[in-house]
Amino acid sequence: MMSVMTIRAAAAAAALSCAVTGCSTAPSQPASPAPTQAEADATAAGTLSALAPANLNKARPTPPFDVTSNWFIDVSQDPKAWHFYLPPYPKLTAAAQKEFDTSMKYDGEGKVYKDDIGQCWPAGLPLIMTRYWPMAMIQKPTAIYMISGFMNSVRIIYLDGRKHTDPDVIVRTYNGESIGTWQGNELVVDTVGFRGDHHWMDQDGPAIPAGEKLHIVERFRMVNDGKQLEIEFTMTDPDNWEGEWKSTKRFNRVVDVDIQEVSCLPDLNQHIRSTSSKTQVFQ
Amino acid sequence: MKKVLWSAVMAVAIVAPAFAHHSPAAFDRTKKVTLVGTVKEFRWQNPHTWIEVEVPDEKDKGKLVVWGVELTSPTYLIRAGWKSNIIKPGDKVTVVVNPVRSGEPSGIFVSMMLADGRELLERPARLGTPESK
Repeated sequence: MMSVMTIRAAAAAAALSCAVTGCSTAPSQPASPAPTQAEADATAAGTLSALAPANLNKARPTPPFDVTSNWFIDVSQDPKAWHFYLPPYPKLTAAAQKEFDTSMKYDGEGKVYKDDIGQCWPAGLPLIMTRYWPMAMIQKPTAIYMISGFMNSVRIIYLDGRKHTDPDVIVRTYNGESIGTWQGNELVVDTVGFRGDHHWMDQDGPAIPAGEKLHIVERFRMVNDGKQLEIEFTMTDPDNWEGEWKSTKRFNRVVDVDIQEVSCLPDLNQHIRSTSSKTQVFQ
Repeated sequence: MKKVLWSAVMAVAIVAPAFAHHSPAAFDRTKKVTLVGTVKEFRWQNPHTWIEVEVPDEKDKGKLVVWGVELTSPTYLIRAGWKSNIIKPGDKVTVVVNPVRSGEPSGIFVSMMLADGRELLERPARLGTPESK
C-alpha cells in the first residue's frame, strides 16, 4: 500500500518536474496540497476519483488541446450529418438485417419503427453526440465531462490512466465507459460497456441495433483554428455488423448558447402526441 | 411581406432535421393543415414546446377537436421572437402544421398567425453558424 509519505514525495517530485518541464497541473498555483489519508487509501485501492485533488494535481504532459466549450454538430456541408446511418452501410448480421428490413418496410408505409428515444429511452453513443441541442464539454486533467443539451445525458471520458472496469463489475449504460489517451495531436477515446437494449445506431430511418458488444474508438482533433472539433468514429459490433463502421463528424464551437435542464417528464408524451399515434410500431 | 415569410417557412421545412426526442417520420411533410381555433394550453418547455388548439369539428360544427401541435425547444423559438407568454389559453390563433400520417389530430408546427396579425415561425437548429442568429 502506498503511504501518505510516498504520495507526498511523489507530489513534490512532480512539482519539481513541472517547474522544469512546464507540464500541466491543476490548480497550478499555489503548490499542490499534500494528499490526504483518504486519497492515499483510494490510490492504494485503485479508486481515486477523477476529481480528487491528488489526482487532478498529478504531473502530466500538457494536452495538445482543450475541448472545454459547447459544441454542436455541423450540418452546413451535409444536411444529413446528424445521422450515422448514411450509406455505405456495413454488412449486417442476419438479426440486424431483419430489423433493418422491417424498419424499411414500415418506413415505406409512413410508419415509425421502434422509436425508443421518442419513448424517453436514452439516445446513447454515438447518436447522443449529434442531437438537436449542443453538447457541453468540460476538460479537466483527469477527465472530460460532457453534458448533452438533450435530456442532460452525461458522458465522462477518463484521462487519468485508468483501465476499463472489469466486465463483471461494470454498470452497463447507453453512453458506455470511455477511456481517453492523448496520442500526438489527437485524443483517442475507447468506449465499451454498453447496455445493448433499446439502443440504436440512429433514429428516423433504417433501424440498426447497438448491442452489448458495441465498441467505439473515437479520434478527437481540433480543426479550423479551434472553431471546429472533428471526431472520427470507428465502430464495431459483431452481433450486428461485420468489420468496422466508420463515420467522421465535425462540431461547431458554440459561444452564444448554454445548455438547459431537459427531462423526459412523465407527461411529455401525453402532449407530444405523435409519439403515441397510430404511426408508431414497437414490435 | 407575407410572401417572404412563407419562403422562410418553406426553407425551414426543407432543412428540418431529426427531432431529437422523437422521429419526425410520423409527419407528412408534403401536407399542411391550417387550424383556426382557440388556444387550450401552451407549454413552454424542453425538449419540446407544445400547444393544444381547440378547433371546430369539420363534420360536427358544435363539437371541438383538440389538436396537439409540437414545436422545437425554446432555445430556437427565442431566436424567432417567441416568449413564454406570447400566447395564452383563450387566444384566437391560426396554426399551420404538417399532420401525422395516421389522420389523428396531431401535427408538427410550421407557422402561427396571432390575432393581432403577427406571424411566428421557428428557427433551424444551426448553432455555431450565422443561420442560427
